[in-house]
Amino acid sequence: MRIFWVKTILLFFLFAICIRLFYWQVVRAEFLQSQAENQHYKNTKIEAVRGNILFADGSILTSSNPAFSLYGLPKQLDDEQKVTTAYLLAKVLTGKQEEVDGLAKEITNKLSQDLYWVLLKRNISPDQKKQIEQLNLKGVEFEGSSVRFYPEGSSAAHLLGFVVPDTKDAGASKGYFGLEGYFNGELKGISGLLRNERDALGLPILIGNFLESQASNGKSLILNVNQTVQFIVEESLRAGIKKYGAKSGSVVVMDPKTGGILALAAYPSYDPLTYYDFPKEYFRNPIVADQYEPGSTFKVLVLAAALNEGLIRPDTKCDICSGPVSISGFTIRTWNNKYYADTTMKDVIVHSDNTGMVFAGKKIGLDKFYSYLENFGFGQPTNIDLQDEASPDIRVKEAWREIDLATASFGQGIAVTPVQMVRAISAIANGGNLMEPHVVSKVLSDDGKSVYEIKPKSKQVLKPAVAQQVMEMMVAAVQEGESKFVKPKGFKIAGKTGTAQIPVAGHYDPNKTIASFVGFAPADDPKFVMLVRYDEPSSSIFGSETAAPTFFEIAKQLLLYYKIAPSE
Amino acid sequence: MTIIKKFEPAEPRKTFSKKYIALVVISLFVLMVIEIWANNNVAVYGEKLQKLSFLQKTLNLENQILENEIAKQVSLTNVASKSAELGFSKPESIQYIR
Repeated sequence: MRIFWVKTILLFFLFAICIRLFYWQVVRAEFLQSQAENQHYKNTKIEAVRGNILFADGSILTSSNPAFSLYGLPKQLDDEQKVTTAYLLAKVLTGKQEEVDGLAKEITNKLSQDLYWVLLKRNISPDQKKQIEQLNLKGVEFEGSSVRFYPEGSSAAHLLGFVVPDTKDAGASKGYFGLEGYFNGELKGISGLLRNERDALGLPILIGNFLESQASNGKSLILNVNQTVQFIVEESLRAGIKKYGAKSGSVVVMDPKTGGILALAAYPSYDPLTYYDFPKEYFRNPIVADQYEPGSTFKVLVLAAALNEGLIRPDTKCDICSGPVSISGFTIRTWNNKYYADTTMKDVIVHSDNTGMVFAGKKIGLDKFYSYLENFGFGQPTNIDLQDEASPDIRVKEAWREIDLATASFGQGIAVTPVQMVRAISAIANGGNLMEPHVVSKVLSDDGKSVYEIKPKSKQVLKPAVAQQVMEMMVAAVQEGESKFVKPKGFKIAGKTGTAQIPVAGHYDPNKTIASFVGFAPADDPKFVMLVRYDEPSSSIFGSETAAPTFFEIAKQLLLYYKIAPSE
Repeated sequence: MTIIKKFEPAEPRKTFSKKYIALVVISLFVLMVIEIWANNNVAVYGEKLQKLSFLQKTLNLENQILENEIAKQVSLTNVASKSAELGFSKPESIQYIR
């Protein structure tokens, strides 16, 4: 009987063992396999390095600096260790003695959470990492990442945009606004994975299983932006805003032959590294996202349209310019209430005569005027390679009244963006071609080979002879107009001032203006087209006394930089 | 009665000779030694690989930091500030020679 019971017990145990083995090997097989793999294998995410953004000459505008994310492993620490670790980390992470206690408390709180790992601090420097490693702390780990580096500080912030940590992909980053936003896909790269077998000490086993999916670093961008031109523009704009007491201002410089943006600056600006310290309104790039009424700078485009259609000639005389013009019950006056009977179209531009423009507008008529608005690219995005471009709509043709055509002919009642305006003027500068503006000239792969080159796109919108005639009118406007005293001597520069009142609650505020100056130099073979714009300058409301001096100040330096000698 | 057996030479036994056994034992021993040596080396090279990989990462980081430091030093913002410190100023009156 005893043998029977012994056998029964043994069989029972055998059965229990079989059940247990079945449970482990069949029911829990996948879970245990994954646990074993986690112990044998180490997965390391290889972060892709974000691509650089380089000036036209290859110097760095933005690159990446190595940084690390600091993680804590709360389960490996007891309460006393958590407090000690937090205090030691805080001493390394903050340079200020008075902040140590606060930071230590913050880290202790993070380490007290019921988690396996917790992020303690992002973007710590390699030096800080070294110091922490020397402390030989338990329960602390690092993960490699990178932080954007700006050798020129906050320069070209609106052009660049900024980078923030990607909440959907730990360790990765995401660009917003400007180039960082527009080219985020190209710049961010693709992270890789390294998976290899480890021994009991955690060292890699050479003949063990090894899987590597290489990280593909982000592509780099080579811009059309010239480092020196950008520096000159920013410095002059900053000084101009201060001098003229403007609320804000912007300058855009473009190569009329290629459409390449040579410089782009706007103030108030922000620091892309500490973007979170600035108001959100500063992030919008006013050159591509802000709409404004161009005022008298628009006149040259209306005259170009009329000349191109053969409806007027530069010497055509205006027969309604001897006094204010009445249209649909509205009276249109000149900016200084001076009138020139039988003035020529050239003098209309020189004197910035609104009545002369009403004459030209009538000659063109709504249909042709509207089609030229479209030809010059108004009402549609320029396709500039910056994320935040917006294009103000043009009213449908059917909604235009006679007075709308009259006011639009001198640049009021119509909205444009600065980049649309500078592009349209570049068509006059380059012989009639409307260029597509581009900030980036080339995209380079990680190994430095060109992935693709952005070719200039253009369409002919004016006859070359007409472009030449309008250019001569703009040269006369500079030489004989209100801004003649600030023009650099000896250089042939084409330009036009603009002073547009700002619409406020259905009417124009006479004391608030947008002062602008648009032009190009040297007029016969332009190296650059530039638009300077000040919002609400307080020293003078006129473009000729604010934007024009800044334009000529920048132009003087650019002509020197491009080694262009005076021609007159 | 005397039975006289006819003398016939004994057929050689078909067994492994001691020589072969010794050879197999020695071979196994050599293989064992090689395995121990290889395992030992693999473990050592694993550590060396770890160190080399770490060194490569460190050098890459330092290279990146140095490149950025150069970019900072040659940046126009820095050059302008240095030149101002040294008393340089912008040209005021430019003479063009034809």
